[in-house]
Amino acid sequence: MSAGGKGPLAGIRVADFTWIGAGSYTTKLLADFGADVIKVESSTHMDTLRSTPPFKDGIKGTERSGYFADRNTSKSGMRLNLKHPQGLEIAKRLIACSDVVANNFRPGVMDRLGLGYPVAQALRPDIVYLAMSMQGATGPHTKYVGFGLTIGALAGIHYSSGPSDRPPAGTSTNYPDHVPNPAHAAFAVLAALNYRRRTGQGQYIDLAQTEPTVALQGIAIIDYAMNGRIAQRQGNRHPAWVPHGVYPCLGDDRWIAVAVQDDTQWNRLAEVLALDSMRRAAWAHFEARDADRSSIDEWLSSETRQREPSALMRQLQEAGVPAGVVQDASDLIERDPQLAHRQHWQYLDHPEMGRSIYNNVPIKLSRTPGKLSRPAPMLGQHTEEICSNLLGYTADEIARFTADKVFE
Amino acid sequence: MSHPNQDAALAGIRVIDLSSRFSFYTGKLFADMGADVVLVEPPGGCALRREGPFLNNRIDPALGIPFNFYNTSKRGMVLDLASSRDAQTLRSLARHADLIIEDGLPGAMQQFGLGFERLAEQNPKLVLTSLTPFGQTGPYARVEATDLTLLALGGLLSMMGYPDGPPTQAYGNQAIAMGCMFAAVGSMIALTAAQADGVGQQVDVSIQESVTMATENAAQFYDLAGVTRKRFAGEQRHAGTGVFACSDGFIYLFAGGMAGARFWANLVTWLRDENVPGHEELDGAHWFDVSFMDGPEAKAIFNRIFPSFCARWSKDDIYHEAQRRQIPLCPINDARDVFNNAQLQARGMFVGVPHEVLGAEVIMPNVPFSMSASPGRLRHCAPLPGEHQDSVLADWQGQAAQRRAMGAHR
Repeated sequence: MSAGGKGPLAGIRVADFTWIGAGSYTTKLLADFGADVIKVESSTHMDTLRSTPPFKDGIKGTERSGYFADRNTSKSGMRLNLKHPQGLEIAKRLIACSDVVANNFRPGVMDRLGLGYPVAQALRPDIVYLAMSMQGATGPHTKYVGFGLTIGALAGIHYSSGPSDRPPAGTSTNYPDHVPNPAHAAFAVLAALNYRRRTGQGQYIDLAQTEPTVALQGIAIIDYAMNGRIAQRQGNRHPAWVPHGVYPCLGDDRWIAVAVQDDTQWNRLAEVLALDSMRRAAWAHFEARDADRSSIDEWLSSETRQREPSALMRQLQEAGVPAGVVQDASDLIERDPQLAHRQHWQYLDHPEMGRSIYNNVPIKLSRTPGKLSRPAPMLGQHTEEICSNLLGYTADEIARFTADKVFE
Repeated sequence: MSHPNQDAALAGIRVIDLSSRFSFYTGKLFADMGADVVLVEPPGGCALRREGPFLNNRIDPALGIPFNFYNTSKRGMVLDLASSRDAQTLRSLARHADLIIEDGLPGAMQQFGLGFERLAEQNPKLVLTSLTPFGQTGPYARVEATDLTLLALGGLLSMMGYPDGPPTQAYGNQAIAMGCMFAAVGSMIALTAAQADGVGQQVDVSIQESVTMATENAAQFYDLAGVTRKRFAGEQRHAGTGVFACSDGFIYLFAGGMAGARFWANLVTWLRDENVPGHEELDGAHWFDVSFMDGPEAKAIFNRIFPSFCARWSKDDIYHEAQRRQIPLCPINDARDVFNNAQLQARGMFVGVPHEVLGAEVIMPNVPFSMSASPGRLRHCAPLPGEHQDSVLADWQGQAAQRRAMGAHR
């Protein structure tokens, strides 16, 4: 039944009440390394990502979202109506044999369901209980609602990202959901399990989904708190590196990122692009380049515009100048040799979606590697198995639960 | 030991932090959670010390904000790994370490006689985490890179910025930050395994690959729908989702698309309550249909109705009123707004850390999650170069000598 059993986190069971982006991805990180993650949903409260595009063949359906699939590999799926007394009992039995309970509901939701921290702790005294609501469990704004993009706005990264002369551009994706929140939450859970191994004590983790992204703006926060300076949008400008930016290339919407960190790299860039010796010398030092940023960008754009981006990237990389094609999904999947070398793209066979693409675990452990051990669970796919094999219910009981609509 | 800290989650874990370019935040996560993290700098101190901005605008290697932020709670040593004596010192420290974090070019550690095989021979439980632009092997393994070029090659840059201009990067070296976060998770998983069976391993994290994780569903859109996602700043992502101007700045509203029916209904009720001209056009079942919401017509209708209403409000007032009505709308905060945010302040997200050279406390973001039994804490400010040279050696090697002596008695 369990997808776990192997991997460095084998033996750790997670009663997983998370949904949407950040929560589901946190428990996926644990599942891909062998934790036995049991995702609990119900028909009335299924993970919203199930109804979020893209869908296999463009047809919407509970089992057809590639977004949901990518965020829920290696987990088992249970369908439980938590508002049914028997459903709640089953959830409690699951918690009693789990090491971790995870949710990213608003504060109070788990308590109202009857699955708050005190209940979980009574069921399993050393439980590690992860709550990752948008704004945390304490403070005046605990009830506020949001998504990754509004969290990015609140946390300051949206304001400071984009061209200086236009409204904030931000990060476009729901950035906090994809890395800052799941990575910090997984780190916190693993740290709490470490503490439990040492002391026998579990604990409650309260991660506000605004705070990791605020922490990642640490320099801007300190600069304001200590110097009164408010970081402004800079486009692709770098204070100490010139040129530094994104330049147009041959083709439709093709660009190359170039970052010249010192005078040596400047010389190499000038060499590769055959800049005339007069300008090359005039701009030989940072101070001169810093004073003449726009002329340098203009010259560089005029050169890059005539070139195919990947060929230019290779030339610059060989010369030791940091450069990267601005890759879109087709580049990442079809053409990038490094991601291919790292086997970043995996294809799993899903009962309804068939073969589709997944990101691989982005962390390579040499001895106990992570692995997408199976595609995302279908809604309630493993309910009966878990009830029978893990929770010890008899076939008769399970039949009765089914008849009583406990598994809805 | 000089840092008694037994209540901390990672107390007793010893980390050698050889960060020189990228991996400082990984070590900080461990240090603030109570691990004994020793930052090893080259003679003269690491390059990050020379990066601004500086505390009180005083250009001084002890006062750089990036260095101070990324190295809280760490102890400091200076070692010249090119000298065989110092490399030997590091090797002997590595005997007592649980984790080494490094971010040199692949092969750099071997060059100093600090390759994994050699270190593991003397300390089988050791975890060696390497954070590099592209990972330890592969065609790009030795290619030079920066935050910007890694955002580009990882795919996120293509999705950021205005469609009529060049893609624009996210503020604050986020590509490097993503690598650091995954390196911390990978290190914790490898330490978990080592605690179970006493055997360490190498953890290889590529910043490019970490960035690719942030491209949301772009790979799935390409694979399942044949659609290549692009940047769209300045446009609504779905009707009711995007940036809107208010009287003193901007807000981000997320009421359409993935947000679901409840939030859209709340928004429409609000506009009706306020008698906003045209609000009745936002009624009807088609407003719950994603394909309609994604189309130009829905966006155009929404753009005729909402912006003039939004412009009447300050970003703070509209935030609290929208949230009272359970609508996902947040102000686009600058650093000052973030710092003054009542919720973050109430949760103690900003704390003062005494700084001797400055002669005052440095106010900085706290550990961004709270743990009831073993909370993280910024225990002290970043070290001076070599500040703990002798105490680290005494603590790590002295305790080992003590343990050997105790073992002999058993």
